[in-house]
Amino acid sequence: MECDKCGRDAVMNAAYSGAHLCETHFCRSIEKRVRRRIREDSLIPRDATPEDPERWVIGLSGGKDSVVLTQILDETFGNDPRIEMLALTIHEGIEGYRDKSVDACVELSESLDIRHELVTYEDEIGVKMDDVAESDPMNMAPCAYCGVFRRDLLERYADEFGASKLLTGHNLDDEAQTAMMNFLEGDVKQVAKHFDASLGSFDDRNEQSEFIPRAKPLRDIPEKEVALYAHLRDLPAHITECPHASEAYRGEIQKLLWKLEENHPGTRHSILAGYEELSKLAADQYRGAGEVTLNECEECGSKTSGTRCRKCKLVDAIHAV
Amino acid sequence: MDVTVDVVGEDTHELTVDAETTYADLVRETGWSPQEVTVLVDGTPVPEDQRVTVDHVTILRLIKGGSQRA
Repeated sequence: MECDKCGRDAVMNAAYSGAHLCETHFCRSIEKRVRRRIREDSLIPRDATPEDPERWVIGLSGGKDSVVLTQILDETFGNDPRIEMLALTIHEGIEGYRDKSVDACVELSESLDIRHELVTYEDEIGVKMDDVAESDPMNMAPCAYCGVFRRDLLERYADEFGASKLLTGHNLDDEAQTAMMNFLEGDVKQVAKHFDASLGSFDDRNEQSEFIPRAKPLRDIPEKEVALYAHLRDLPAHITECPHASEAYRGEIQKLLWKLEENHPGTRHSILAGYEELSKLAADQYRGAGEVTLNECEECGSKTSGTRCRKCKLVDAIHAV
Repeated sequence: MDVTVDVVGEDTHELTVDAETTYADLVRETGWSPQEVTVLVDGTPVPEDQRVTVDHVTILRLIKGGSQRA
């Protein structure tokens, strides 16, 4: 099968668009879609200047998504004096698994000459996920603890490093799964929050002064294409399942969406397009309604609706075992 | 035609295909979804909607499910 653009051998087909592309044109297509998303989401404010640059902190786990994101951002904006970038890696204390992906992060940031910062659960909150998964004082999935800790550290360090925005490598499959989960849980307020927190264009969002705004420039790219891009460009991505992975519901939705995509190509794109529109409407409806005042956690200073944040409560429970 | 299918890091399958079988069909036969793998012929990815014309292919898993991102 020939490439639609040049007649060389195609390396992939995208059933949702009918495209067949060779390595060169496939890679170009990925880069083009990421840059278009950055433009459409207005990630670079008009008032960013070399004297007062925009600072992006990139959540770099060493998995294929964040590695591809970091590579494309560096190639696109590495020489743009209006933008400063640094990569932030969180080590959860998962022996073997995270050690290898940290190696991938170090290799990538050295090859790109991008500033790289590493923080660990052990140094910051005194826990390792291997131990938490073992003791499990709250009788929850390991991902439930890990998600709280990771969000807290990403937020804290993005703030400490003066981030204007926190960029993560969520792809189309991740976002379509989250959209479906919010739909199926009937959680329209969560859909509304999603818009201002990470989904909307910066032209349309209401800035949430309490949190660093997030952006997901890979959210138009199917997960398989992100992985194929990493493979073709031989990027140092670490592809292994977390040994504590236990998100059963997300896994169920992932398989459902694969099946739907097989039978009805383009399903993920249409789910997300509709979800984005709905989330804007929901945000307009729910903004300001029932919002609680956020306080600083008395223990660590993180934002919380109570007196102690969720992370500190979980850490207490872990240390009480 | 008989085709040997190596799934990297997993198992090997011996399958019989006809003239209409695509690489995507082959992937489904081995129990994977075409959404989570790429098919390599002589080390190079091929579009999965192509018909199978070789007697040895490699399936590379691109996605390992289940991990949660921030």
